[in-house]
Amino acid sequence: MTEKITHSIDVGGPITVHVIDGKIRRIRPLVLDDTDPKGWVIRARGKEFTPPRNTTVTLAALNERVRAYAYDRIKYPMIREDFVETEDGKDRNTQNRGKSGYRRATWEEALNLVARETKRIQGKYGKEAVTAITSSHHSWGLVGYKLSTFKRFFNLLGYTQIWDNPDSWEGFHWGATHTYGYYWRLGGPEPFDLLEDALKNVETMILWSHDPDTTRGGYAANESAIWRHWLKELGVQFIYIDPFHNFSSVKNGDKWFAPRPGTDAALAEAIAYVWLTEETYDKEYIKKHAHRFNEWADLILGKGIDHTPRTPKWAEALTGIKAADIKALARRWASTKTMGGSGMRGGFGGVCRTAGGCDFSRLMVQLFAMQGMGKPGSNIWTGTTGAPMDYNFWFGGYSDPKASIANEPVADKTAVNPVKQKLYRLNLPDAILNGHYEWLGEGFCGQSLEQQFTENIYPLPGCSKVHMFYRYGGTFLGTMLDTNKWVRMYQSGELEFVVNQDIFFHGEARFADVILPACTNLERTDIGEFSNSGNGGYQSHSQTGNNWQVMVYQEKAIEPLWESHSDYWIFSRLAEKLGFGQEYTEGRDEEGWCKRFWEKSDLCKKISWEDFKKKGYYIAGVPENWQRHFGFRWFAEGYSCDTPNHKPFMEQGKLGTDTGKFEFVSESILRLSPNDEARTPMAYYKDSWEGHRSLIARKFPFHLISPHPRFDYHTHYNSSCKWLWEIPENRKVLQGNPYIIARIHPIKAAEKGIKDGDLMLLFNDRGSVLTVARVTNRVQVNTIHCYGSSAIYNPTRPGGFEMEKGGCVNLLVPGQLIGTRVPGMAPNSCMLDVKKYEGELTFGQGFESILKKIDRED
Amino acid sequence: MTRYGIAVDTARCMACYNCFMACKDEHCGFDNMPVARAQPETGQFWINLKETERGNDSRKIKVLTVPTLCSHCAEPVCARDAPQGAVYIREDGIVIIDPVKAKGQKQIVAACPTGTIFWNEDLKIPQKCTMCAHLLDKGYKQPRCVEVCPNQALIFGDLDDDKSEISRKIVCNKVTPLAALEGIKTNVVHLNIPTVFLAGTVYLPDDEVAIGVKVQLRSKKGKIYETTTNYFGDWEVENLEKGEAYDISIDLAGFETIKLIAIADSDKYVGESLMTPRK
Repeated sequence: MTEKITHSIDVGGPITVHVIDGKIRRIRPLVLDDTDPKGWVIRARGKEFTPPRNTTVTLAALNERVRAYAYDRIKYPMIREDFVETEDGKDRNTQNRGKSGYRRATWEEALNLVARETKRIQGKYGKEAVTAITSSHHSWGLVGYKLSTFKRFFNLLGYTQIWDNPDSWEGFHWGATHTYGYYWRLGGPEPFDLLEDALKNVETMILWSHDPDTTRGGYAANESAIWRHWLKELGVQFIYIDPFHNFSSVKNGDKWFAPRPGTDAALAEAIAYVWLTEETYDKEYIKKHAHRFNEWADLILGKGIDHTPRTPKWAEALTGIKAADIKALARRWASTKTMGGSGMRGGFGGVCRTAGGCDFSRLMVQLFAMQGMGKPGSNIWTGTTGAPMDYNFWFGGYSDPKASIANEPVADKTAVNPVKQKLYRLNLPDAILNGHYEWLGEGFCGQSLEQQFTENIYPLPGCSKVHMFYRYGGTFLGTMLDTNKWVRMYQSGELEFVVNQDIFFHGEARFADVILPACTNLERTDIGEFSNSGNGGYQSHSQTGNNWQVMVYQEKAIEPLWESHSDYWIFSRLAEKLGFGQEYTEGRDEEGWCKRFWEKSDLCKKISWEDFKKKGYYIAGVPENWQRHFGFRWFAEGYSCDTPNHKPFMEQGKLGTDTGKFEFVSESILRLSPNDEARTPMAYYKDSWEGHRSLIARKFPFHLISPHPRFDYHTHYNSSCKWLWEIPENRKVLQGNPYIIARIHPIKAAEKGIKDGDLMLLFNDRGSVLTVARVTNRVQVNTIHCYGSSAIYNPTRPGGFEMEKGGCVNLLVPGQLIGTRVPGMAPNSCMLDVKKYEGELTFGQGFESILKKIDRED
Repeated sequence: MTRYGIAVDTARCMACYNCFMACKDEHCGFDNMPVARAQPETGQFWINLKETERGNDSRKIKVLTVPTLCSHCAEPVCARDAPQGAVYIREDGIVIIDPVKAKGQKQIVAACPTGTIFWNEDLKIPQKCTMCAHLLDKGYKQPRCVEVCPNQALIFGDLDDDKSEISRKIVCNKVTPLAALEGIKTNVVHLNIPTVFLAGTVYLPDDEVAIGVKVQLRSKKGKIYETTTNYFGDWEVENLEKGEAYDISIDLAGFETIKLIAIADSDKYVGESLMTPRK
């Protein structure tokens, strides 16, 4: 018996992998040894706080062993059994995609077919006729992740790139940026050293549309769990505002408010009303730092164009929260040092993904501004980021252009995509099905506010439409909008050829003509940093959500299982067949690329390559006398900005808005989008285009909220990991199928004759999903709560209205974007009805038979 | 002597399910002889998270999670009717069901007062938590469930050492045995399981919450609990005697006293009380 220990990282944290006789035996967190640096120390309120000498994991990480050997792994290359390789690309039975079985193929056969079709389609229509896209977070590592291996291949090939939408923080990206700038942080606030600020100063935490114990700072494992215990022990009050009494709230919440979904902006306005009438906001701060505040204040006070004072009573009628409670909330906020915000890092949360997401996000910023945002104990900070960190140490995260094998300096030569045509993820099906699509913005608009208004047209004049779709890693059926339209897209003859390269036989893989089996993180070599999304872009320094800054040599633990191979292996072979093999690899294998990341980052100054490989990880400590750089303090106190990732104008005390101030009337919206119905110059509550005041509410009276999941991550785990099905708050197995839990209030359940544990059908005009009812007081009375991004996708008929039974509530959410000029998604503006289901249940999940047939061929 | 134990602090448990998954990761699919055969892939919960939604009204709901595993009793009930020494106690206090000797002894499952022993139908053996004895014997410092707890809700150590972290934890917190194990000495020690709460909110006329209102609860036996309403007008008294009836009086100078009665048979929100000015 030989035991080998390797290390890796995934969305659930860094892990130690024990391998015995070539099989993964166990997954453990990383335990630090004496050679690792000392932990940081924060002294606050007479106490010392320092983290435990280990990293944490989540349940996702602890499922990696079973996930690697899961029943739904794609074991072999496969070709759709009724796929016909016609010369003109027509008559390929595309209407059967999603229904047909597969036959086993050899790697040679499958790769040759992909290469032949790529050449045929690009030869016939042009390079832009190929499009491709990855999911997010299906693996971890700077070599293998989507912006590296995948990007290098497709940039060298030439393809129509599909822009991602900022799917988890829409309102902050498209809205809040016009109030306080931070477009380069994609709308998110600065977290720097705010943990220390909070431990020293904060008295009240207002977590608005935020479940920190569930979203965990994104992918920072359970690192911040201990911080919230510390704050509780210091007597800090935790107030939660969420239509669902979420998993943090029921444990450490001192108060829970449940606004009717879509009305949060009204609650924010009423809070402002109380502060304005009682003069309990920071007048001096506002005078100095706010632009056109009085005009907005007039609106709130009823002196504006609509003559409607935003009184607590007015908000009570909309939100369902008592006026007295709203006043008390406003007074607590104004009279104590308060931090808070939305979602996993302060600028996220389910509410920013509603029709009113921009208004809500802007009002959130405005409320914190009114209380002197940036002063000690007063900031947007949600208890999940902002640990001390040595900002001088640079390694590189996944969105950092300098940390990708597609680009210099890691590559000798940057791979450039010659195709200018683009597509937009949210509307990819519309573009394919209609052959024409126009939209604004460039997806993630980190360059400027103007970038949000770039006009796009598909097909780009002079360009071909796309006819080949190469899908890589994971599925959008459980993360995007109105996802039956994705099925219609797949079944369209417009897509002559569809490739899917994935590890698991999840939703979208079942729509491909050719399936290429990739291996998991544990079966290939990579390198990465725990929770680092990229110091160059996205919301930089997300690894301040950790107690420790950890770089890991993700050594291959076991050989790829069955006939799977690493994504890099697959793309290398394909590149070779397409004639750019040498350009793709530059002669390097995966370990060779890993070494380049070490060499091009500060890691090479700290530890030798050999020692790093041997130990498996490196922890960058925080120097003992490290000076703190509190987020936004520079602005509040008027000194030159000293926080990382800042723009030159911040050194003059200016924000990234047109005026450099908090814009209560947004000059950039007036300048760039004056007739924007969803993003008015002033932010205020508006009825949702799908909400309780819509006509559709007469037919579909319930709101559906489908926030980021506690028991999954981007749908990557629930299908493959049966242990997750045993969590009663997640799923219930009936007749061999794990039904998702949906929550309903006892009053409404009684009206519908539904008891706890009954089967409950969620339905509207877009589809229907069969769930198991959890009858609970933890949900707002008009709301159904069911986690999004945790679907397995088990349709009765792909694309049909018949019930889906894998928990894919994304079938039900509207495809409509936040506004005609705001291309963000709004899945939490969704109305539906429910009924008790008493019909038959079919046995099993439905898709296993396809895999079993292949196994029998084996 | 070393006596290994686990302290379970229910006040800190966030129900993250890490312990549950780590247990399965360690024990599913692998024999860990001589202390355990492999746990089946699904269906057994050597550490189970028993969750209770507390409260009867959306105005005040809490969730209690009690991680429940074999308590490693000093005199295990399950050993009484287990011939051939099928259940034995190791020198370090860990209770083991011998996978060989216990074959066919289904009565061991039924004997457990807390329902933490499971029957393996394929192997015909009873199975349960081993405190990862096979790993401790190899030099691991703690069982897998404890190692992965991010909330420090599970503490492992030597109960016979007064200075150990677990002993200190137990001294500083309220020991609350599982109902089924009342009076039984166990190596797994549950802490801070609450009994029952009563709560309410007090309002003043004209849409105001009533802050600083004196709320007194008096049990039929004469025990008195006092609290005041907070900045939301909320009051709450936790850890009341279950099943007892309480007279509640809500007092604020210048207002009529409100008198209520509530039976604390379960966690209750007794309602919103509106103060009326004294005439």
